[in-house]
Amino acid sequence: MPATARELATLSVERTADGWGQIAFVVPGHRQNVLSAQVVGDLAAALDFLGDGPALNGLLLRSDRQGSFFAGADLAGLETLGQRSLEEIEGLCDAGKTLLARLSAGPPSVAVIDGTCLGGGLELALACDLRVATTAAHTSLGMPEVKLGLLPGWGGTVRLPRLIGLGPAVELAASGEPLDGRTAERLGLVDACVCPDEAGSSARRLVEFAVASDLVALRRRQLAAALPGDPTEREFLAATAAAVMLGRTGGRYPAPPAILETMLAGSAVDAAEAATIESAAFAKLAMTPVAASLLRVFRIGERNRHDPGVGEAVAGEPRAIVAPAIVGGGIMGAGIAASHLRRGFSVGLVDTNGKVIVDNVPSILEEAAWDRVAKRSDPAAALAMAGRLQTATSLAALAGSDLVIESVLERTDLKQQVLADIERAVAPETIIATNTSTNPITRLAEALADPSRFCGMHFFNPVRRMVLVEVIRGPATSDATVAAVVAHAKRLGKCPVVVRDSPGFLVNRVLMPYLHEAVEMVREGIEPARIDRLSRSFGMPMGPIELYDMIGLDTAFYAGLVLSAAYGDRIEASPLIPALVKAGRLGRKTGSGFYRYQGTGPQARVAATDDEEVARLVARYELPPRETSDREITDRLFLPMLLEALLVLDEGIVRDGRDIDLAVIHALGFPPFRGGLLAWGDSLGVAEVVRRLEPLADLGLRMQPPERLLALARAGGRFTAE
Amino acid sequence: MPIKPPHRDPAATPVIVAACRTAIGRAHPEKGVFRQVRGDELATAAVRAAVARSGVDPESIEDVVLGATQQRGELGGNVARCVGLMAGLPLATAGTTVNRLCGSSLQAIAQAAHAVAAGGADVHVVGGVEHMQHLPMEAAIDIHPRVLARTSRGMLSMGLTAEHLAATYGISRRDQEVYALESHRRAAAATASGLFEDEIVPVLGHDAAGGILEVSHDQSIRADASLEAMAALEPAFLPKFGSVTAATSAPLSDGAAAAVVMSQAEAARQGLEPLARIVATAVVGVPPAAMGTGPIVAVRKLLTRPALAGISLSDIDLVELNEAFASQAIHCIRALELDPARVNLRGGSLALGHPLGASGARITTTLLHTLRDSGGRLGLATMCIGLGQGIALLFERLE
Repeated sequence: MPATARELATLSVERTADGWGQIAFVVPGHRQNVLSAQVVGDLAAALDFLGDGPALNGLLLRSDRQGSFFAGADLAGLETLGQRSLEEIEGLCDAGKTLLARLSAGPPSVAVIDGTCLGGGLELALACDLRVATTAAHTSLGMPEVKLGLLPGWGGTVRLPRLIGLGPAVELAASGEPLDGRTAERLGLVDACVCPDEAGSSARRLVEFAVASDLVALRRRQLAAALPGDPTEREFLAATAAAVMLGRTGGRYPAPPAILETMLAGSAVDAAEAATIESAAFAKLAMTPVAASLLRVFRIGERNRHDPGVGEAVAGEPRAIVAPAIVGGGIMGAGIAASHLRRGFSVGLVDTNGKVIVDNVPSILEEAAWDRVAKRSDPAAALAMAGRLQTATSLAALAGSDLVIESVLERTDLKQQVLADIERAVAPETIIATNTSTNPITRLAEALADPSRFCGMHFFNPVRRMVLVEVIRGPATSDATVAAVVAHAKRLGKCPVVVRDSPGFLVNRVLMPYLHEAVEMVREGIEPARIDRLSRSFGMPMGPIELYDMIGLDTAFYAGLVLSAAYGDRIEASPLIPALVKAGRLGRKTGSGFYRYQGTGPQARVAATDDEEVARLVARYELPPRETSDREITDRLFLPMLLEALLVLDEGIVRDGRDIDLAVIHALGFPPFRGGLLAWGDSLGVAEVVRRLEPLADLGLRMQPPERLLALARAGGRFTAE
Repeated sequence: MPIKPPHRDPAATPVIVAACRTAIGRAHPEKGVFRQVRGDELATAAVRAAVARSGVDPESIEDVVLGATQQRGELGGNVARCVGLMAGLPLATAGTTVNRLCGSSLQAIAQAAHAVAAGGADVHVVGGVEHMQHLPMEAAIDIHPRVLARTSRGMLSMGLTAEHLAATYGISRRDQEVYALESHRRAAAATASGLFEDEIVPVLGHDAAGGILEVSHDQSIRADASLEAMAALEPAFLPKFGSVTAATSAPLSDGAAAAVVMSQAEAARQGLEPLARIVATAVVGVPPAAMGTGPIVAVRKLLTRPALAGISLSDIDLVELNEAFASQAIHCIRALELDPARVNLRGGSLALGHPLGASGARITTTLLHTLRDSGGRLGLATMCIGLGQGIALLFERLE
């Protein structure tokens, strides 16, 4: 039989001389293969082509795109979901399912999975009879739909439980976490996991074996029928999984319980009925505001990944940093050094105090070599990393560095001195960055002869966990400097947001009104625990008063000074904070702040509401009590943040409002299900925000609608621009 | 009602001629009395004592069968053989280690009885051992994810299965605490009256200060247990929503127990006085998520054995029901309609402790001693088992 082949836009399809079908995908215009409408059309055409002729021995699906089988659905397709009706969305699901059903009903098929196989990509692979994954590091299989507030809509909730069991299927789809090839093999998600060179030939042998041993026929029957299972086990799974989900999400995210319910319901009926259940559940989820919010958060994250941090006028690739160094080996410097090691950099660490280096190197290596799965440091990795950490006690060691991140104590005079010393020690083209949360970049730049190569690089504590980095440009900072630092932050796995120099930069500035308002409410006699509870029920990971105790009241006080000096007309420093500091109540670190603590764990707080010392101090700085509903307390916490964000936009501190939402989500834990601060504002509506501010007007300037808000209200505009 | 089948071959009738145990220590790295004593040493002490107390001719012992759930480290390498060697048994005596998780040493007794009944082997030393502080139960276990395809991850947490029983059958937290309190009360009273003295083999351990201590009392029993103190505890397995706490779960424990099983004919030949006859045994599988229900199904199956023809639960004088969790024990008692006045008269594992692999032989030891002291005739030992199993054995006291 002669071989025949056809080239389509996103795939090539072939009938080989030995009676096999092959489909190889390469989706143009994307770095990874994505399932677009074009792919769907091409796949249908490919199946038509293969169906035309004698029956095939087998069909092999693979990707010719390096590192990607299919990374998931095309985002452009998902974006339109919000504008569609329930019936239209169900129709889209059903169309996909119909296509995949054709694949499933065809010749014995196998997917070769070398690279990302996520979401719709995994559903495509599941529609094949068999799967071979590769051992390559880039191979990952998963169902991340839940992270967008959705569930797998192309038969994933139908096929997955029938293939690997109900419990494991719920875990995979409700967590959204990807698996490597070996783990997928253990789970039964793939039939084999082999090295990439062997994948194609192994796939063919697998099909031959599975056909001969009747596995294909057995599996087709198994996938079509209801999933047998013990009713007690089902009840237990339903109860325990629901409890785990509730604990993790606080009931704010509808997708995980929907996945559980869909899989439970779908596994009790045959596959055709389960498919209908899935489409209906998908459409219902797609219409939820949470899904829209999560999709937006995902989108602004993607935008950030592609944002060079400077205008389009700057041509060319940003300069790649190859020899970074850190000056100052304290907590922040150590964390920054560790994140460099983790990402494969050789990094210098200079501290004029040799003891700091001796004391901190073990913890740097331990953090850098931390194995998240094993929950311990990998000694072999730590040893290997030790060779990439060059420590020194003299700035002379910086001579060969192309980026120096200064991370000494937050004292302006000291920082200026060290920055000037660094500038003398490095080459003229070396970029110098300062890690600071409170020092104005413009002030620090005064110490330098060439401020164009200088900017702020504000990491958050703990560096290993906090992905946000504020890249702060002073008036003299060059675009090339910003672009290089932004690119470098991304290589560290961080999410850099470029902001103009201004007190508090972006994150602390937007945080300030929230913290300030919480203290004012305490002074009005509102229970701190009530404020924290309402903040958490809004979706924050912890309340503002708890946050004070966590940051440390002394630290919060000094940071507050900088901010109240700049924004004192709106935000006066509250006298209660220094009074607590004076009483030795610095927060968790001293065993008491607003609350009292025993031990260090998350359960450390002592449930005591009769703290006389706090009561006495509150009484001393008491404010007139107000009539306060839960909603008003919540409004008072979050509306001032929104107003501050508008001022930030007005002043051009950020280049795009989406950066604000990204920053509050990543740095402050603002709830992703609300889509971000500005998106939350839009969920209320501009007019409603104005209305809710009216009864708060007597609180002063901080509750007064800024001009931008009134203008938006007049124009019927929105907080978000996209 | 005594069971007197017309023809019973003494050579194929398994009997127990001695049973004893170590006291049970808390599996605590600083306070546990056995923190510096190896599990195999505890087992050796129990085996030596059982052999000595029985008066059996060591040369006649064919096999040592010990249960242990963590067969690694100090309990690795077939610990039953090692213990036989350490206990000075003849080199010709064989040894095998069995694992039916919590039911391991009840299984050891059962399979010795089966060997006797089948004429396969006669004199056995049986028992079990666990050292949950040295060998934690979750460590070094790699359950295949495809096992979870038949059940779900939650069943790996025994505490969650206990929560599920409590929720499904409406067993309140208060009910569980009242039950646990009674278990402690009975155990403390039995200890105070010296009722455990005959069954416990004193061994050396260490007190909290680190000095040598003769251990002859179970360490987890709280004479001062109170409902108030129990009510203050946080749920142990299901934060916020749960009803099962540390007080209503069996404590993690270290300990060992041993017994001597042989045919009635061999006992007569050696001039030994059997404590009891092993009448029948049963094991069963249940849904892993409902592992706590194992005893219910196992006991019902046991009642269908031909040897129990004409016997009903009400004929059974005493029951030792292993208490993994209060909710689990309560559910079994209710479902089997057992009379609480006949169950765990000297307290259960909630108070005494639950050294997994040793517990089956421990409850058997306690059962036979309680039967002897109370003059009862029929005694039932039953346990629930992780991953969904149940085991039940019926004993008839012989005079």
